[in-house]
Amino acid sequence: MARGSDGKVVRPFAFFRAGAQQDSRANRPILVFEDVYKYFRKDQPTLRGVNLVIERGEFCFVTGPSGAGKSTLLQLVYRKHTVDAGRIRFAGRDVARLKSSSIPFLRRNLGIVFQDFKVVKHWTVYENVAVALEILDMPPRLVRARVAEALERVGLAGRGGDRTEGLSGGEQQRVAVARAIVTEPALILADEPTGNLDPHLAIDILTLFEEIHATGTTVLFATHDHSLIGKRDHRIIALDDGRVLEARTGLRSWPGAGESKPPTHEGSGLRVVAG
Amino acid sequence: MELKTLIGRAKRGLREELRLYLVAISSLSVAFLCVAGALLALTNLSALAERWGESARMTVYLRDGAQAADVAQLRVVLESLPEVRAVEELTAEDARALFLQHAEVSADLAALPPEVFPPSLELSLATGTDPSRIDAMAARVAQLRAVEDVETYRGWFDRLESLLSAGRGLAGALALLVALCVLAVIGNTIRLAVARRRDEIEVLKLCGATDAFVRGPFVVEGTFQGFAAAALAVLVLFFGFLALRGELDASLAALTGIRAAFLQPWMLVALIFGGAFIGAMGSALSLRRYLTV
Repeated sequence: MARGSDGKVVRPFAFFRAGAQQDSRANRPILVFEDVYKYFRKDQPTLRGVNLVIERGEFCFVTGPSGAGKSTLLQLVYRKHTVDAGRIRFAGRDVARLKSSSIPFLRRNLGIVFQDFKVVKHWTVYENVAVALEILDMPPRLVRARVAEALERVGLAGRGGDRTEGLSGGEQQRVAVARAIVTEPALILADEPTGNLDPHLAIDILTLFEEIHATGTTVLFATHDHSLIGKRDHRIIALDDGRVLEARTGLRSWPGAGESKPPTHEGSGLRVVAG
Repeated sequence: MELKTLIGRAKRGLREELRLYLVAISSLSVAFLCVAGALLALTNLSALAERWGESARMTVYLRDGAQAADVAQLRVVLESLPEVRAVEELTAEDARALFLQHAEVSADLAALPPEVFPPSLELSLATGTDPSRIDAMAARVAQLRAVEDVETYRGWFDRLESLLSAGRGLAGALALLVALCVLAVIGNTIRLAVARRRDEIEVLKLCGATDAFVRGPFVVEGTFQGFAAAALAVLVLFFGFLALRGELDASLAALTGIRAAFLQPWMLVALIFGGAFIGAMGSALSLRRYLTV
């Protein structure tokens, strides 16, 4: 991967096409939520007044109980849904104001990984990863090289010809991760990527994301598995009932975190940042 | 999207949904066969009408025992008319021989005596002669002494014309019906394929594929279905035509004096590429609602 003079990773698709602005503001936050509201029911907002700043190169856990709004938060970023109020700025651009025709170019700058893997089962491993590059009209020779590199990074070197349906859950998730990183996106959104995996494999996948993060990629990792969060010292964004309850680093210092209990703000001095 | 990638993805789709597409193609080819068959019938009817229109004829049947002098005088009168291009006299023997030659009839009919066939004067009329003028001329000629009857073939021609216009209308309606049928069948086939490949579409959209990128292979698949179904229909019709051509020629030539002809090359091209176009349209239209991920 190419690196700039400051050691930061230079990505070919770091700015999506609509309104791309070159790098005078490269150090600004990669993702900013400004007073974001999302309603699926009129009387009950799924997200209420979310304010968040994700810096470039950060690794953030997004956690909270089921229904807290973790997935919605990520889905708003890749424009599966649109905010009802507030703004989400990705690389300086207001995501909600993108035209439908610009959404594909937004997504080309994101790597998205899901709990249910979302790999095409009847395709080979190679085809599943290469598709992200074929979308970019990349020459086949370059596609082959990039796919081989991505598969090597996720520990699936030489498995390109295997049918994906024959792989284990952990391996299928690695294929999904390879697909997410093969375009060298600016931001990876992982929506409960370990939710369908046993604890041992979950740690493997988390480690894989950390390795990707180590190369300079920003990672937003949604999970409700506090045993996983407790093992790492990354920034944590806790959501509950659509509000951001926490945005700080180091769950280890939280009461009960070592015993895999969910974080609580009661009596811990934790701050409700918005809502 | 690179053409190679597009074709590759479409080939993969066709491979994966081969059974579904084979069923759709066979159903569609029946529909195309109906249109092609109607076109074939129209082609031959049109050729017949054209031939008759070009060579307007009149037959003047002579009375039994008409005097040779009367016939010769009649011939002179007819030849002097500006509408008459040529006059040919057919004796009873000539008429019988001509019938046997064109009709390729069995030995039973060959045994018919010459008296069954009346002698006649066969008139070739000038091209573009007004039908009312022909009728007036026939009425005048019919009053002459040596004349038994006059046949202008107007009734046949009128019937053929109305048959042709009805046939054209029917073929047009049939073509429209088939076009709708093809749209529906290909649309539903593609919808079925899309439903089975929804995960694939979702992955593509989440990776940043444009609608055109997602739609491309499905449109190619629909195009192929329409093309293959129309081509199959043309092939079936062609081989059917070859198998029946001998019999068709015998009966058509005897009745009308023309030989059965297959569809014109431009019709074949229009049918096959029209099928491909309708297939592409059906596919593109049916995909719209599945592209929102």
